[in-house]
Amino acid sequence: MTTIASEYGNENNSVPIEHRFNPYSDNGGTVLGIAGEDFAILAGDTRIVSGYNIDSRYEPKVFDVGDNIVMTANGFAADGAALIDRFKSAFKWYKFDNNNKKLTIQSAARYIQHLLYGKRFFPFYVSTLIAGLDEEGKGAVYSYDPVGSYEREQCRAGGAAASLIMPFLDNQVNFKNQFEPGSDGRVKKPLRYLSLEEVLALVRDAFTSATERHIQVGDGLEVLIVTKDGIKKVYYPLKRD
Amino acid sequence: MNHDPFYWGRPSDETYGHYNHAIANAKSQIPTSHTQQPIITGTSVLALKFKNGVAIAADNMGSYGSLLRFNNIERLIRVGTETIVGISGDISDLQYIERLLHQLQTEEEVYDSDGGHNLRAPHVHEYLSRVMYNRRLKMDPLWNAIIVAGFSDDRTPFLRYVDLLGVTYGSLALATGFGAHLAVPLLRKLVPYDADYEKVSEEQARVAIADSLRVLYYRDARSSDKYTFAVLTFENDKINVDYKQDLKVENQSWRFAENLIGYGSKQQ
Amino acid sequence: MSDPSSINGGCAVAMVGKDCIAIACDLRLGNQSLSLANNFEKVFPFGDKTFLGLTGLASDVLTLKEDFRLKHNLYKLREEREIEPETLANLVSSSLYERRFGPYFVGPIVAGLHSKTNKPFICGFDLIGCIDFAKDFIVSGTASDQLYGMCESLYEPDLEPEDLFETISQALLNAVDRDALSGWGAVVYIVTKDKVVKRVLRTRQD
Repeated sequence: MTTIASEYGNENNSVPIEHRFNPYSDNGGTVLGIAGEDFAILAGDTRIVSGYNIDSRYEPKVFDVGDNIVMTANGFAADGAALIDRFKSAFKWYKFDNNNKKLTIQSAARYIQHLLYGKRFFPFYVSTLIAGLDEEGKGAVYSYDPVGSYEREQCRAGGAAASLIMPFLDNQVNFKNQFEPGSDGRVKKPLRYLSLEEVLALVRDAFTSATERHIQVGDGLEVLIVTKDGIKKVYYPLKRD
Repeated sequence: MNHDPFYWGRPSDETYGHYNHAIANAKSQIPTSHTQQPIITGTSVLALKFKNGVAIAADNMGSYGSLLRFNNIERLIRVGTETIVGISGDISDLQYIERLLHQLQTEEEVYDSDGGHNLRAPHVHEYLSRVMYNRRLKMDPLWNAIIVAGFSDDRTPFLRYVDLLGVTYGSLALATGFGAHLAVPLLRKLVPYDADYEKVSEEQARVAIADSLRVLYYRDARSSDKYTFAVLTFENDKINVDYKQDLKVENQSWRFAENLIGYGSKQQ
Repeated sequence: MSDPSSINGGCAVAMVGKDCIAIACDLRLGNQSLSLANNFEKVFPFGDKTFLGLTGLASDVLTLKEDFRLKHNLYKLREEREIEPETLANLVSSSLYERRFGPYFVGPIVAGLHSKTNKPFICGFDLIGCIDFAKDFIVSGTASDQLYGMCESLYEPDLEPEDLFETISQALLNAVDRDALSGWGAVVYIVTKDKVVKRVLRTRQD
């Protein structure tokens, strides 16, 4: 028996899609993490953009996520917020399930890898950084690519102006290309831990420089400082043009 | 009539032949269609914080491309007693969101299980941002940009944005669409620094929004001069919602147009 | 990557100091990720105290170098004097704009001292000759982002020649180490009113 013509004919299968929805956007901004001997900092500018529009001049993107760990996810703002939300909720369950056990930064770091890789085929479009203190009380910064590849480092810049800031950090934090005077470039300048004051000065220089040359960076700089005594927040104005 | 409930509502066999069940199970054969583009759209929503409240406005037009399809679309939705949600973008998605918000309001007020906790703007915004982000994840977005205006639990003014991608941000002055280009600079001129919204009076905010709506009406071809304006204030320990519909853009003057040169071919 | 300006890689930078200028470049020549040569200089002298840096598509770099050498020689024959850096800048600009709709894929920079007054001059161009007159520094090439970050943070005005050398070298070295297409050696010229010093820097070789 036959049926009448319906809208369900197979000609519908071959209708081409005119335009595909783009689920990502770029909200600009830049972030930076540096580890010291007994502290670590995470800094980010507070501007949020879409295209050439400045959507907000103060939208913080570095957060205290608990147990003396700070976190930021810079790039596509909705994914950044979602990733941090997911981490916070997982953190809550970790505390609930494990009799309030302290979450070490190594464990947090590995867990974030799984959060990111879990969406390997629809990635969070962000560069993620976390900072805190390791089990010896030394400063630690972990950085990630969008799909969860990660590494512990002394310092890392992420986001829109990462390419401007990172070589500066190589030079001023890890003393790259610096040599002992009179050694004819054969003896490297020995590494040493920077003090908090030195680090903050570098961070401010890095961000004022990035603000000068990158249109998506500016308005304000918010720095979260992690020490054994807890997390301190400081704010410095940046140029708003 | 065939009394088997399975056949209720189906075309009768006598007239149309035996029902082909493949039709009902056709889902696997044809692709599910998602919103690929907005159809009937609403233009900008504007909002501004001031000393003890928030002002938010949107016009009443629904455009079908360049056609003025509707002139009676209400785009400011009241949620609870002290929150206004302004929606731009696709109107059918607006109406869906409206239904969600009314559902949320009902659940919160009628089935109150949290001892009189009030549904306030931050909660409405959080809810909407989750809805928007989850629809984006499904690659089936609600094609809107939304501004939520109201008060935080401590009764400080609250103003926050969310769009079809799930991107959220707050600011002292917010606008969607064309308003982000034309109105935000005007509103920011009044208050350059976010924390300084406390220096702005209700009257200043009203004037700034009305002026911005006029500029938008001049320059945004998809805007209308009929709009809804809501001003939320917190005074003497209570919240007042001044929700006015059918307002007209006033003090229009096209005299500036005489002096405009530089568009298209030279006149005279 | 079929972008002509980033096939061969390489970068250049110029800075102004107190009565002196510095101009520097890396030495790499590559084909995409394959490095081919570590002796590809991108800074060329035009007279005693004027220099032209050319980054971008290597074939265009060589072509323009020769083109400007020709034009420089003709200029000297006609004028019977050295070309001033400002003049070279305008020559570069108009030569590039002649090819407005089929451009050379280069990012030139000019640096020099005025032959009489010894006033420092630097400038940069886009590929069709728009001049960027700068008071402080000019960057160009595949490591331009990195160079902007370095220069903006390390540079200060009125540096003596020795300090200017240190500043431009650190800026270049650290910038090229964060660019996969630049590096493999570097050359720095320090130009003062009565002396030009060319230094070849030891760099990472990866």
